[in-house]
Amino acid sequence: MLGPGVVRDSALARRNPTVKLVVLFVASVALLFVLDPVTPALICAAGLIGVVVGGRVPVRTVLRAQLPFLVFAFGVFTVNVLSRPGTVLWQEGFIRITVEGLVVGAALALRTLAIGILAIGFVLTTDSLDLMTSLHQNARLGARPSYALMAGYRLLQQLPEDWAAIGAAQSVRAPLRRDGTVRRTPAAFGRAAFALLVLSIRRGERMAQSLESRGLGLAPRTVWHPIRVTPLDLVFGATVLATLAAVITAAALLGLLSGPAALF
Amino acid sequence: MSIHTRPTSTPTTPGPRSRSLFAWQLKDIMLVVVLGAVFGFLYWALVQGWIALSVATGPFGDLTQHVLLGGWLLVAPIAVAIIRRPFAGVIAEIIASVIEVVFLGSAVGPLLFVAAAIQGAGSELPFALTRYRRFSWPVYALSGLLGAGLVFFYSAFRSGWYGTDLFLVRLAIQLVSGVVLGGLLAKVIVDALARTGVVDNFAIGRARVGA
Repeated sequence: MLGPGVVRDSALARRNPTVKLVVLFVASVALLFVLDPVTPALICAAGLIGVVVGGRVPVRTVLRAQLPFLVFAFGVFTVNVLSRPGTVLWQEGFIRITVEGLVVGAALALRTLAIGILAIGFVLTTDSLDLMTSLHQNARLGARPSYALMAGYRLLQQLPEDWAAIGAAQSVRAPLRRDGTVRRTPAAFGRAAFALLVLSIRRGERMAQSLESRGLGLAPRTVWHPIRVTPLDLVFGATVLATLAAVITAAALLGLLSGPAALF
Repeated sequence: MSIHTRPTSTPTTPGPRSRSLFAWQLKDIMLVVVLGAVFGFLYWALVQGWIALSVATGPFGDLTQHVLLGGWLLVAPIAVAIIRRPFAGVIAEIIASVIEVVFLGSAVGPLLFVAAAIQGAGSELPFALTRYRRFSWPVYALSGLLGAGLVFFYSAFRSGWYGTDLFLVRLAIQLVSGVVLGGLLAKVIVDALARTGVVDNFAIGRARVGA
């Protein structure tokens, strides 16, 4: 798994995390309403250039992180090609391919990839704790939810270790196969998951008590390593959104753009 | 780290009714975060199997994924049943999605926040209608049904299921999965948690003592 914040020093990595998150969110929502293949393909290209050049993320890393999106995009494409009624292009028994299916399927698949590239650019260049600090300072997220989430991050890092410990404890008592290996059943997975849940709830309650006893929730708070929104961040946000608007407008002027009406 | 010890603290008596509806205790926020983290981790472990399942079943793999859909709804009813506060379900789902996107680097991106908020609202509605007082099997079942039902229309829009042949089949599979995995299973888990005593210090424990 590729962890968040892998690329630490690039133009994209230095931008304010909240600004990046807002830009990514706006772009994703805007793309939801685009249903032609050309526009998302252009966004894909622009996004790839932005992430590779601006984010200094190696192309190989981007492509590897794109794998789950590719699988999902392929599924969306085939389902639409095979199950969308319309002008029949080719038919053989059960299998029928329609023009509408091809166009809408390609549009949805390319949209998945476009959002994927932007999301990868965000995740790989953003440190999780910087993002929480920035959300607390720049987006006015309350101190208690912010620090609870950061404590949750710490807990999350411990989970694989706890999971392994519970697994080991259960294997000691588990019935063995004839060759001496442990049988892994879904029921065992359920029991381990429940033990993990109970353990974590208890740990969470202790964390809440220690955060409170250390004065969390008292005002005024001071922050170590404050994160600010600089003019450069605003320029970055405006540039990305302007590019997005320009691509969509150009596609509309050329008559290539189509909206959700293409679905029905 | 012992797993099997019972907490030594005794449950507190029900607090004064006048307390603000929105004043969450840190303990409650932390519980929601913990639920998000644990389920995020378990989903991540299960997703490996999920991808294998969808590859194994070929082009209609995304239909088989619908069978497991209800599992994504679990966080909301569990949080509502333990904390018993307005918006507990919505906030729990959103926090779970934040953990997936921000800390686990989930591929879906911030659109997951939107889906999470819709799911949470659907799952929470039946509990809200009973004013967070009834936690019976039918309420949980309805919670799963609405959680799956509301988010279906958003997913259908996002994945382009409108106008395809299998639209109603998808809806049916997701609703059944929502009721079983996202509703009834939540009650099984909540009741089991209550029996361990680990949630005695939350609203669910106070309600048991008060009853």
